[in-house]
Formats: sequence, structure tokens, C-alpha cells
Amino acid sequence: MGEDTESSKGNHSFLRDYVTEADVISTVEFNHTGDLLATGDKGGRVVVFQRETVVGHKPKGELDQVGETGESGEYNVYSTFQSHEPDFDYLKSLEIEEKINKIRWLPQQNAAHFLLSTNDKTIKLWKVSERDKQPEGYNLKDEEGRVKDISTVTSLQVPVLRPTDLMVEVRPRRVFSNGHTYHVNSISVNSDGETYLSADDLRINMWHLGITDRSFNIVDIKPANMEELTEVITAAEFHPHHCHLFVYSSSKGSLRLCDMRASALCDRHTKLFEEPEDPGSRSFFSEIVSSVSDVKFSHNGRYLLTRDYLTAKVWDLHMEKGPVETYQVHDYLRTKLCSLYENDCIFDKFECVWNSSDSVIMTGAYNSFFRMFDRETGRGVTLEAWRETSKPRAVLRTRRIYTGGKRRRGDVGVDSLDFTKKILHMAWHPEENIIAIASTNNLYIFQDRVSPDTQGPDLGSDTI
Amino acid sequence: MEYKVEAHRIMSISLGKIYNSRVQRGGIKLHKNLLVSLVLRSARQVYLRDYYGGICLSAQQAREWCEGEYMDSEQDKLVPGSTESLPESDGQSEVAVDKQEPSNVVESHAALDVESEASGEQDHAENGVLDSGCSELKTPEESPEASPTCEVSNVENLHEPIVPHTCTNRKRSADDSELTDSLPKKTKVMSSTLISKNDEKKAETEEMDTSNVSSLITIFGSSFSGLLSSEDGAQPDSEAEDSDSGQICCDQMLKNLNPWSTAIVAF
Repeated sequence: MGEDTESSKGNHSFLRDYVTEADVISTVEFNHTGDLLATGDKGGRVVVFQRETVVGHKPKGELDQVGETGESGEYNVYSTFQSHEPDFDYLKSLEIEEKINKIRWLPQQNAAHFLLSTNDKTIKLWKVSERDKQPEGYNLKDEEGRVKDISTVTSLQVPVLRPTDLMVEVRPRRVFSNGHTYHVNSISVNSDGETYLSADDLRINMWHLGITDRSFNIVDIKPANMEELTEVITAAEFHPHHCHLFVYSSSKGSLRLCDMRASALCDRHTKLFEEPEDPGSRSFFSEIVSSVSDVKFSHNGRYLLTRDYLTAKVWDLHMEKGPVETYQVHDYLRTKLCSLYENDCIFDKFECVWNSSDSVIMTGAYNSFFRMFDRETGRGVTLEAWRETSKPRAVLRTRRIYTGGKRRRGDVGVDSLDFTKKILHMAWHPEENIIAIASTNNLYIFQDRVSPDTQGPDLGSDTI
Repeated sequence: MEYKVEAHRIMSISLGKIYNSRVQRGGIKLHKNLLVSLVLRSARQVYLRDYYGGICLSAQQAREWCEGEYMDSEQDKLVPGSTESLPESDGQSEVAVDKQEPSNVVESHAALDVESEASGEQDHAENGVLDSGCSELKTPEESPEASPTCEVSNVENLHEPIVPHTCTNRKRSADDSELTDSLPKKTKVMSSTLISKNDEKKAETEEMDTSNVSSLITIFGSSFSGLLSSEDGAQPDSEAEDSDSGQICCDQMLKNLNPWSTAIVAF
């Protein structure tokens, strides 16, 4: 899935360009410390990467030259496992895709790591643990495990643990099935560490991590008459600190903050965040374009970040009447909505992420471009995640879309954008400026290089 | 004019998407189909507004010879099975004439063709007011494809069928029962020709049979105020209907909903 598997296909460019549908990455998520990075793909597999805590492997001189602070921070494959298999609903004669829609890590409580992964219907809790010791010296069993002949045992020994090669074991600990009639689009672990929510198109359920045969339905927007359906739930997330608050976004562009203390069924929102539609920009596709594809709480819990097709918006939890900041991600597509509708690109669901200090937001676009916006200055930058232009340790340069005016070298015209190369999924390290970008079947990890001369982070980025 | 062509193109594409979603792996995606149905509704609104906007201009002069001329000319074209009162049968005969050409609707895919043909058969037997709107809708499309000269003559022909059918509509609108009678037939056709989908779609189809009737009655009961608002934008009643038309191959719905708009424009 990473660049390693790509190189094993040989050096033929036509082989490299061929992408198996199953290898397309469908979700990316750092764990709470940022040491682990999990990716899920359309084939139902999960690959976990671990960051090398390498200190001092390089000679000191070289470290000073490059200006790195110590950790080389490369991510290497830690474990791979098949999370979900293709399934079949016999009652409805429906195939259930094995594509991993979301992965969420649990906060670490012991040596093992736990993550939740979900496809359209079933959520699974996986335990990822290491084993680097093995007991040896049993009395009743020999080295291969065969039972010894008792007559040969003349003395007793205490078995000891001896170090062995590191083994990463992944085991399914819970399977939360039959909770959803519609397609699950989000899961979110509660700050209480015991519960989590799962949201599908019309309902949100709350589960206890230890109980698989029951869940509480906390939101149900299914109308009594399905013909009256006007909106669906597109994303949901728990508040990072308040275990009673969660937010869900709808296809109409509204956000609803719900307080579980108010009632058992949170059909009535506590706060409704909605921006009135601009009548001037109304078109056939206004409704599609306003559908929210992702919603994320800021780390401090005060803001919400949402992504719709053309913009990213920051909302203040205290102000419901509209976003406090709106960022145009690719406004040049506004005139191309009809052709984007024809080729289904208008239905692409882009994710959005905050940086660790909530000062920068990031989201994806087409042509392997992704955009970062600095909230303080309001300025945005376009970067590219594309193998041909990124070599390991090279500095990412900013890109520009040519929309008129003076054309600079390297500008890309709107009509030459490749709409098959879309950056939908991404993650930002919880503490450092390390980002993971998924581009079809490739995973790019970019690190911010802290220059010793300047005070803040460098404008460029490293690719690893 | 371009808006109409564009709107129609978007409608065809949307219907194609809804059709293809049935064979997609992983089942029907509710979110995507809802969005497609909203686009379909918007396109249809523009299409109808644009179309009837043009017709409205000549509606006044056409109204003068409402009852007169066409009755003689179309008398011989009466289709068997028209057991309704005179004005309605005139409307129906008009329908019979118009129906022949556009019964294979301009829509691009097979499922809809099946439905429209099936419904076409049904419509001949019923009061055709509900269908005449659709057939009239379709004719202007065929004409640009034919030739410019044909277009002129077709447009002229259009005025004739529309006018009586709006007059008929006026009388008819006061009488809900005929509509309700016609509806179960039409919706039955719809549900039988629709290929089975997953649970939400199928439930909608079956629910539509009864709720279609009730929602239509509600709309007529509110004496066009519900319809007028549906022209402008989202109202619950119209939305229910409109989301119907999106979520199910909407050729039938187009036919159902057109006469109301015609009625509004005429009055």
C-alpha cells in the first residue's frame, strides 16, 4: 500500500500506473500519540505504520547539517491485517462492501493498542499488541510443545521468558454488527473512553466498547414516510472533552450539536449551525455543493471545521448563524459543476483536518493537490502529493491553479486538472507538523522541517 | 431555450445515475440518490417554468378559440375507452393524438422506455389530462431534432392541445374523484414495471401508491396554493412529490405533475 509495494511491481511505468481497486486507500488516522498511523483500503485491509524513534543512528555531524532535531521519524509498516471481508445480506440480496470507511484509535490504556474499523455495516474493535518474549522451559512440554514422557522428568525447572523476534499480533476483540440499516459513514470514540458512536445515513447509535449485542439509538432522522426524506446524516463526531456533546452534519449543509443530557433521543438539536443560502449563487447543483462531507472539532473543542464541495468553513460553537471563516478550496470549479456532475466527481467526499494548535486547516482537492489555510492570515497554499515531483527529503513547493491574470511557469490550467487524482483522505499528527496524505493507492507522509535559523517552521516540507 | 435543453440533459443524466445506482456494488447509496433526485427536481422545475413561461404568452389568444375549432377537427380522433364527459374526452383525444409520437420518451435508458410504453397503454384508456402535459412537453423536444420548419408547425400544434386541456383542467380540478381513480392505475403501472431495488427504494415505491393519491388530493384541496409555492421552491408538499419523482424513475411523475403547473399558468 505504501511506496514499498509500488516498487515491487517493477520499473515499468505502465505497471506502476495500474491501480488495483482494492488498494485504494479509503481512510487514514494517526493514533493519539502520533506514533502509529493506520490506513484502511477498499479491499478491507488495514495497514498500521509505526514511527521510528531513531535517535543517534546518524552521525552527529550529519544531523547538524540537515538541521533536524533528533528523531528521524520515518514511518514503517508495523502490521497488516484483513479487517473486513466482502459480505452479503441475504435478506435484501445486497452485497456489502468490505471497504474500510473509517478507522479510529482508542486512547492507549496499556501496552496494547486498540482501534475501531468500520465498513458499511459492521464495526470491529481490533487489539494490536506486541510480543517480544516467549516462555521457555516448561516441565511437561518440550520445545516443540509435545507432551513429555513423565518418566523422563527428573527435576523441576521454572519456565523463563526469553526475548524473541518482535511479533505484532492483531486480534479482533469485538464485532459490533447489525446496528445499521443504512451505510455507516462515521465512527467517533467518546472522551469517556467507554463509548463510541456510529452514524449512518439516517441514524446514530451509541455503543459501549464492551457490549456488542446492544446499542442505543441517539439520533433518528428517518421520516415516517420515506418520500418526505430531504436530508441525510453525512458525518458525526463526539466533542473532544465533553462526553455528552456530539455534532452531526447533514446533506443540506447544516450542523447540529446535540447534548445527550437533554434527552435519550437527541432528535432535537441543542444548537443548529446553518448558513443561509446565497440566492445569487443558486444553480441546479446548489444542494449537492452545500452538502457537508466532513466535520471535525478543533482540538480545543471551541470550533468546528466542515468541508463541503467547494469550501471549508470554520464555525464557532457559540455562534449558530454562520461560519466565522470560509475558505475557498477550489472556487474555479464553480463554473464546471455540470461536467463534474456528469463524471460523478461532484459527489466526492473530501475530508478536512486541523493541525495540533488549531491554527492551520488542511483539506484535499483534485490533481493530487491539497490545500492548507493559515487561520491567522487567511492565506491558503496549494501543495502537491505526486510521486514524480516529490523525491524523498525534497522540499515541497507550492503550486498554483491558473485562473486568469498573469500566468507563471508551473501554473496548472483548470482544464488540465486530473480529476481522477483526488486527495480525499488525510490526517495530521496530533502534536507535530507531520501530515499523511492518501492519494489513490499511495500514502505520502510529509514532515515539517524546523530550520535552526528561523523561529517558526519552514515554509517547505519534507517528503518521507 | 438553452436552459430548457440544459435542464433536460441534466434530467436525463440524473435518471441515468439513479438507474445505474441499482447495479452498483454495495447497494443503493441513499445520500447520492437523494442528491441526484434534488438535481432532478431543480432541473424539472426550470424545465417546466421555462416551457410554460413561453406558452403563457400565447395562452391568452389561444383561450379565445378554446372550445371552438379543435373540437371539430379532433372529433374523429377520439380514442375508444373515453367514457368521460365531453370536455374531458376532447382533452383525451388530444392526448391520443399526441401520445403516439413521444411515447418512447427522449430518456436514454431501457427501464424508462418500458415504463413509458406501459404507461402509454394505460393512458389511452384513462382520462388523459395527466399525460397530456407530458406529451406536450416531449413534442417540443422532438421538433428541434427534426427540423426548424417542423418546429414552427409543431409549436403551433402545441397551442391547440394545451388550451383545451387547460380548460378541461379547470373543470376537472374541481372534481378530484376522477384523478384519484386514474392514479391507482398509473401507480400500479409504475410499481409493476419498476425492477425491485433494496429496502428503502422498494418501500418508497409501495408507499407511493397510497401517498401519491393523498398528496395529490391535498394539493388540489388547497386550491393551487400548494402548487404555486412548489413553483418557487421548497415546500413540504411539493418536496414530497418532488423527492418521489427523483427517487423513482420519474417519467410517470413528470406526467402527473405537469397538468398542475399548466393549470397555474393558465389562471
